[in-house]
Amino acid sequence: MRIIEAYVGEYASGKSEIAINRALSLLGGELPVTLVDLDLVEPFYTLRPLKRELEGMGLAVITWDTKDVLGFGETGSLLMPQMRWALQREGHVIFDVGYGVSGSRIFNLLEGIADSELKIFAVLNASRPMTANLKDIVEYLQEFEQLDGLINNTHLGAETELATIYHGVELCAAVAEVMGIPVIATAADERFRAQLGAADQRGNAILYLKRYMEKAFW
Amino acid sequence: MDKLSHEEKRAFMTGNEAVAWAAVAAGAEIMNGYPITPQNEIMHYWTRLAPKFNKKFLQTEDELSAGFTTIGGVLGGKKAFSATAGPGTTLFQEPLSMAEMMRIPMVLVVQQRGGPSTATVIYSQQEVNLVTFGGNGEGWRIVYSTSSHQELYDYTIKAFDAAWKYRFPAIILGDGYQAKMRESLLMYNPEERGILLVQPEVFVGKPGLPGRDRPADHLRNAFSVEEELFEAAMNIQQEYDKMAAEIVEADEQQIDDAKVVIIAHGVVSRAAVAAMNRLRAKGHKVGYFRPITLRPFPEKQLQAVAEKCSNFLLVESALGQLARLFKEALFNVPIKSFQTIYKPGVGITAEEIVEHIESHG
Repeated sequence: MRIIEAYVGEYASGKSEIAINRALSLLGGELPVTLVDLDLVEPFYTLRPLKRELEGMGLAVITWDTKDVLGFGETGSLLMPQMRWALQREGHVIFDVGYGVSGSRIFNLLEGIADSELKIFAVLNASRPMTANLKDIVEYLQEFEQLDGLINNTHLGAETELATIYHGVELCAAVAEVMGIPVIATAADERFRAQLGAADQRGNAILYLKRYMEKAFW
Repeated sequence: MDKLSHEEKRAFMTGNEAVAWAAVAAGAEIMNGYPITPQNEIMHYWTRLAPKFNKKFLQTEDELSAGFTTIGGVLGGKKAFSATAGPGTTLFQEPLSMAEMMRIPMVLVVQQRGGPSTATVIYSQQEVNLVTFGGNGEGWRIVYSTSSHQELYDYTIKAFDAAWKYRFPAIILGDGYQAKMRESLLMYNPEERGILLVQPEVFVGKPGLPGRDRPADHLRNAFSVEEELFEAAMNIQQEYDKMAAEIVEADEQQIDDAKVVIIAHGVVSRAAVAAMNRLRAKGHKVGYFRPITLRPFPEKQLQAVAEKCSNFLLVESALGQLARLFKEALFNVPIKSFQTIYKPGVGITAEEIVEHIESHG
């Protein structure tokens, strides 16, 4: 079945890393996979340095190429035409949506959005200071017009411990209950695979992450 | 609530966010700013924190106004600050000079972008000249060049204290990479660690008649005759020198047996340390020296290094701006060799430094 997912959430919550890993995890089936860098605020930066590498791995990547934007500077809001028509593509489509709540108001620009099976998942890192407790998280997520699930991506970069992840799992469970939406998965760095196994303490599937965004670094 | 919570904890964030949180921790009350990449999220984040911590924000029409309204806030007794980059740092020279001449404390965070002019919004170390000696006058500023999010946090707090204690403008010098990259740091309330924050005072409009009820304050940036300026300038220089001895900071590692010392500042010093460690693991005797205060510059510390090893490799994302300060500090000190990696506006990796030292010695 065709999968159409968008990853939204607080700035620097890990949306791009999860979108990349999710898109890569869908490769190998019968359907092609397209990853769309849907960031209108700083459209030339997020996935640009990774485009070639990801294409080499088999993804179709819709993002600006350095050669396309020479001289654009800080142009401001700009929608790449291929992004507008991304839902018309065959196969799975994964959207990486930049810039928090305002960024998520972009979906009305996509052709065919009303008839699509788009699922919007919020990525949550409870180590981010503005989304570190139940009250703040619920307040923040309530601003989104549509949310179909939560991804727990609680980590402290290189200093992440199992306890950091477990803490996020519990917090997400509480948020999910208050908001009436499911937790879809816990995301964790590959290095935790041996300790975490297939599911977290609440039974949520683990999406293991290989780090790509380190190469984007801006 | 206008202070950070009691709980100390590690948080994951961008450098711009670290600055905004640190300003709250340092007791800043108002930010006056004009947007420019890559410092924008300092402003964005400050405006998100402001209602929670009872802080204020003023968006001005340009950087000149951001600088002068910051000074206005300080004169009115508030801990005010601003942030900028690139061409904004150029415009900030006039308010900074005024703060130097009138001895007004102010804090400015600079996240360097490519230059000259608009150049890139991304990264460079090309604002060293500007932040150290950019204004007219004598460069009476404090400049801390940070290399991590923890340092952005720690030194922002320190900058507020140094500015208000010594009454010189203090600049946090970061860059677009530090602004945007993500890593974790420990957030704390300095007062709960026993760090006594210097409290701001009202500079103008104090009660009582000046000269009768209290001594008059002379906040002057204009002088009628040469002798008057000469006397003021010499007094300020004397106070600057006295302060310099108290606040100058540098970091150095593995100097004692070094055959080559890598010189770097800011985010590039991370590549320098990584390169040193990799080369040491291969048996090369490499050391590293990093000025943390670029103004005042740690001259004596550098001269002491040069006595032990004076084969230097200086590495910076600019065409010799750190090198200018370095050469000034070692004037008349004999050195054996001086090599450079200059990459204006471009990041420098540990691999490049390792390769350079392995191929050039």
